[in-house]
Amino acid sequence: MQMREACSVERGAQVPTPRRTWLPESVWIERAEEDSALARRVRARLPNTPVRIVDDTGVAEPRESFDEGKRCLVIKRHRGTFMQHCPAGTTGLVCCNYLVAHFASNCPFDCSYCFLQDYLANNAAVKAYTNPGDGLGEIDAVLQTHPSRTFRIGTGELADSLALDHLTDLSCELVPFFAERSNAILELKTKSDCIENLLGLDPKERTVISWSLNATAIMAAEENRTATLDERITAALRVQAAGYRVGLHFDPIIADDGWEEGYRQVIERVFPRLDTRRIAWVSLGSLRMTPRLKTAIKARPQPSRVLTGELVPGPDGKERAWRGLRVKMYRRMLEWLRQIDGRMPVYICMETPGVWDKVFGESPSDGEVAQRLVAQRLVASPPVASLQAVAR
Amino acid sequence: MTDEIRTFAHGRRYSSTTLERWLALDASDGLALLELAQELRLGENQLRDLWEWAEEIAQRDHASLAQVLALEPVAAPRRSRSLGRSDKLKLIKTALRRLRFPQLAATEERLAALVRQLDLPGNIRVTFPEFLEGDEVRVEIVADSAASLEVAADRLRAAAETPACKAIFQVLEEAP
Repeated sequence: MQMREACSVERGAQVPTPRRTWLPESVWIERAEEDSALARRVRARLPNTPVRIVDDTGVAEPRESFDEGKRCLVIKRHRGTFMQHCPAGTTGLVCCNYLVAHFASNCPFDCSYCFLQDYLANNAAVKAYTNPGDGLGEIDAVLQTHPSRTFRIGTGELADSLALDHLTDLSCELVPFFAERSNAILELKTKSDCIENLLGLDPKERTVISWSLNATAIMAAEENRTATLDERITAALRVQAAGYRVGLHFDPIIADDGWEEGYRQVIERVFPRLDTRRIAWVSLGSLRMTPRLKTAIKARPQPSRVLTGELVPGPDGKERAWRGLRVKMYRRMLEWLRQIDGRMPVYICMETPGVWDKVFGESPSDGEVAQRLVAQRLVASPPVASLQAVAR
Repeated sequence: MTDEIRTFAHGRRYSSTTLERWLALDASDGLALLELAQELRLGENQLRDLWEWAEEIAQRDHASLAQVLALEPVAAPRRSRSLGRSDKLKLIKTALRRLRFPQLAATEERLAALVRQLDLPGNIRVTFPEFLEGDEVRVEIVADSAASLEVAADRLRAAAETPACKAIFQVLEEAP
């Protein structure tokens, strides 16, 4: 499958860009991909950025720090499979059967808590792949093999889905592709406001644009280089107006001293401004911390407060806020969300059936959660009054 | 002070990573850690555990490592003349844990108080999941005869009907 010439290039090289677009200091192109559509497009968009053509893009990998990898852009062919099951499908956790597709690797933003600091520690250069058509071919094969199942597929696992879009125009390929498929929903998850490409496309209800949200103090202190809350809200309003449904992810929820006030304020600021009937889903997930991620966070030049919450080791070796506190946070946030619109589908991410039961009064199977989200039915929505009663 | 840290760390066979991290601390923090390590003759893992909690408390409370180690709950066991080294270490670890996880520790203390209210005999042991990650309570009965088992079962049945027992499960469900 060939990637067609992207939409912004067709409109001309001058792309209207949001305020916080990322521009790499250098571009490294795999020699065999020098003439790829992506390489040509990026060079046209970055005429003053030094470009190196190399046989092995491994030379672009940072030697000193993880953050160094966020200053360059590597353009290369992706070898191997594009699609994987979301890692939340771990035994013992309720899973929403989410699939992730990797069209890029690493993210130009610099969130202190980001798990990629661990996961991509030895592979930190930001990469965009020249062969998304191969990935779409892979997705197409899965969709055709299982025509009676509806899949949710996201691109925001190893990368921000939109942070490179002003350079790659990947969304111009993905949104029309999914618009033509009846058994899949694409989720583009971001902390950016890079939505310009999306506004001219017709998603036909098959693409959800999602934003990660956090308490504003956490966003300001821990989510470096990302769009502000107001910028994310504005972008969400614009994509809703352009015909997209939006998703909102409170993940990771940080259990610091001010969590209750911080998250309540964000919910009160964001949700009343959006058309809540056009919110596809809201997820809640507490901070998860592997030992290696904890070490990486401590090694950052600026101290982070995300480690100061009451994080304790769980059976899977990851540290989280202790369970009673997680249940309390989820219940409170669900209560605030329900007060705004009780019909919004809400789920919790990477949690045990026991926690689901405490929060929602039921512990659905993986398949049930997945089906509810694609069918747009509510995920366990007890009336606010009864929820308040159990939450005390 | 740097030489003293090096000498202590080499003597206890600490890794170079830990030593480098130690030497990178502010002088007062490094010294406070050295005094603690010398007093308790801490092995590397023991030191790292205490250090990690103290460091996280310091960051949360905008204090220095030395200030955290000087807090009364941590300092009191160190002053004791009657306590042995391992008892001091245990008390200091408990004190730092309580400071590091105040809500969790308060919940555990509340649960312990509720278990005491159950008034169970010594051969019945109630334990909670580690770090309260779960709501399953383990109840163990140790019996050396049918009669002692019957007595224990009766006491347990009576305890299960008390408000304290119901409160235990409520406390486990959600943080206060």
